[in-house]
Amino acid sequence: MTTKDQSGIDLMESGKLHALRQLILGLDQQDQDRLHLLLRDPHAFADEISELLPYAVRRLVEKGEITVDSLMPIIEDSMHKSVQKNPGKLVDILFPVMGPAIRKAVSEDIKRLIASINTSIETGLSFKSLKWRIQALLSKRSYTEILLANTYLYHVSHVFLIHRQSGILLHQEAANDSQQLESNMISAMITAIRDFVSDSFHNREDTSLDTIQVGLMNIFIEQGPHAIIAAIVEGNPPADFRLTMTEAIEAIHFNMAPEIEKFDGDTAIFIHSSKFLRTCLIRERKQRKARPPLAFIGLLILLFILISWVGYGYITNRRQIRALQEQVNNTPGYHLSSVKKKAGKYWFIGLQDPDATPFNEIVASSTIDSNKVKGEFEAYLSLEPEILVRKALNRLQPPPTVFLKTQGTVLEVTGAANQDWVEKLWANIFKITGISELDDSKLRVNHTEEPDLDWIIPEIEQKSFEFDINITEIDSLQFNAFQDLVQAALLLEQYNRTHHTLLRIIVYSYTSHDGNVEANLRVALRRAEHFATLLYQAGLKEELLEAHVKFVEEGQSPSLIRSVQFKVIDKNKE
Amino acid sequence: MLKKKVTMLGAFAVGKTSLVQQFVHSIFSERYQTTIGVRIDQKNLHIKDTDITLMLWDLYGQDDFMKVKASYLLGSSAYILVVDGTRHDTIATAHDLHQLAIDTLGKLPFVMLINKADLEESWEISSNDIQQLRDKGYKIFITSAKEGTNVEAAFYWLTEQMIAQ
Ligand SMILES: Nc1nc2c(ncn2[C@@H]2O[C@H](COP(=O)(O)OP(=O)(O)OP(=O)(O)O)[C@@H](O)[C@H]2O)c(=O)[nH]1
Ligand SMILES: [Mg+2]
Repeated sequence: MTTKDQSGIDLMESGKLHALRQLILGLDQQDQDRLHLLLRDPHAFADEISELLPYAVRRLVEKGEITVDSLMPIIEDSMHKSVQKNPGKLVDILFPVMGPAIRKAVSEDIKRLIASINTSIETGLSFKSLKWRIQALLSKRSYTEILLANTYLYHVSHVFLIHRQSGILLHQEAANDSQQLESNMISAMITAIRDFVSDSFHNREDTSLDTIQVGLMNIFIEQGPHAIIAAIVEGNPPADFRLTMTEAIEAIHFNMAPEIEKFDGDTAIFIHSSKFLRTCLIRERKQRKARPPLAFIGLLILLFILISWVGYGYITNRRQIRALQEQVNNTPGYHLSSVKKKAGKYWFIGLQDPDATPFNEIVASSTIDSNKVKGEFEAYLSLEPEILVRKALNRLQPPPTVFLKTQGTVLEVTGAANQDWVEKLWANIFKITGISELDDSKLRVNHTEEPDLDWIIPEIEQKSFEFDINITEIDSLQFNAFQDLVQAALLLEQYNRTHHTLLRIIVYSYTSHDGNVEANLRVALRRAEHFATLLYQAGLKEELLEAHVKFVEEGQSPSLIRSVQFKVIDKNKE
Repeated sequence: MLKKKVTMLGAFAVGKTSLVQQFVHSIFSERYQTTIGVRIDQKNLHIKDTDITLMLWDLYGQDDFMKVKASYLLGSSAYILVVDGTRHDTIATAHDLHQLAIDTLGKLPFVMLINKADLEESWEISSNDIQQLRDKGYKIFITSAKEGTNVEAAFYWLTEQMIAQ
């Protein structure tokens, strides 16, 4: 009892004491407990300060007592030290934040890269589907039907040969019905993706990329030491397709390794990889359904009857007529205004120059039945160069050593002729309608009847035609010199005839031992043959022509290389 | 047909992507979308009677955490070092990358672009700095991908160097 009372008093007293303390200090029990804890427990104290400190610092900065700039070195320094001591720590801290972001960004980027390949491929291929749609429309079959009929079990549409280091497209082959792709971009992207992947997987060889999925297509990649092959494949190719690709890339390396290694941007040579790449262009058509539905057969028969009734003859006729129409339009001296069908015949109506090739000759040279076409032309004067020259030829009857050309309404006469003909020329020239001027400044007049060897031979032997690398045919700039050559050559032939001599022209095509000798020879030979053919076409007898390739030897002028020159040799004196 | 790989090198956000976009598509965007890995673009040019296709490899910008990997440079015929005129320290990065290019590719034609010429107010590179670079034999163009200043000139100059090689 007593005890109870005692404690009762105590309690009462401490209650009073509290009240008293609160009065004096202004702190309640909770506040005191907290203070107590801070004094005794340093951890708790630190926690408390850490909440206040940032606020305090902000206040200090606001008041201008310290600046961010003055804090920065301290923070940077401590970060730096921390990273130096244990970089893992910082990575651990940052990773949860950065990791997902980086991963997301990386996969986004690969996705974007692939997406851009995808669009490059798809825009190219969409034309095909359009074609199928049109086919479907025309043949009244459903689009899906056409699509299925055109679908392959597998189908390699494009094969690229790509320079391994630079990602540059060296050569590509495409299946016949495939569309143009942005091949340069696709090649570079494939290479970049490959780099990126091998990079992200720490360059482990076994993770090197061998297929990239792009939409419904796969890009198969086969690596060689210097080049890679990439094939764009729809569907599942047979298992040995990989082997085909491996063999192709091996064959290419075997045959062209130096060219690939030396590659510096010029892709022309890689046309030679074509036959190897083509081996990869394989496909297999899906089996058609064994028994097409009856309705479909019915439709087909109906269609067939319809087509054979009006169609076939009509279509082939139309095509032939259109071809003839084009031919007539392209013939100098014609101006076609319309083609009409009258009483089962096609009437070609328009204008025709009297000197143009006769209409029935044009018809005869075409594939069309000449009974089916008729011409109805009114005469007109054509000013086309071919017609003007033909008029001049008809009226002037020049000797074979004279050449005629028109330049607008100016007639250029070059070559050589005797005085008689020159007089005839001047007497008749302006009777030719359409010609207003004569340029005979390059016409040589022979005063003797005899062709003159002292003039002819140097004229031939001083000619030299120089060519750029790999060019084998003369260009328009060389054409004038070539005409002079022809003219001299024809005079030589005339001389042979009158003197019963056998003066021959030897064509020498020069090349060198530098580089690929075999290729040099081939090109030089082609040049030599080109000249022999041109001279033959200009009217020179074949037996008077001979073509040779010569190597430029040391001591000879290097400017001879890639030139074609001529020598006149007397066969009888050989 | 001539095809050449040209690589864009420089610190992050100096404007490599913007320069390529300006040159190839004549577009510019203020938005910064950092390049991860590489972007590829193609430009066909006709210079000095030569048809040439540039395959432009626009690499991610180098920073302290992401060094540019040599493997991306392989096969380049030329490269472009890009510096941000408003950030002096991007010159040092360009120097590092120049060294990397020499180590990986040997001596090749290159050009240095000091970009963002339109931001005069925050320009940090003095004419003295530029003179020092020129003294080292660098060909320098002051460009703005935003306004298109000198962009074409720089790419054409570099292409001519490649053709002359
Ligand atoms: N005013 C101005 N801004 C530019 C210029 N060039 C680029 N920028 C801006 O600078 C920022 C970075 O440009 P990017 O072209 O993405 O730079 P980058 O070098 O490709 O960057 P990374 O791919 O991250 O290495 C973008 O916000 C651009 O709009 C310029 O000539 N003038
Ligand atoms: Mg970029």
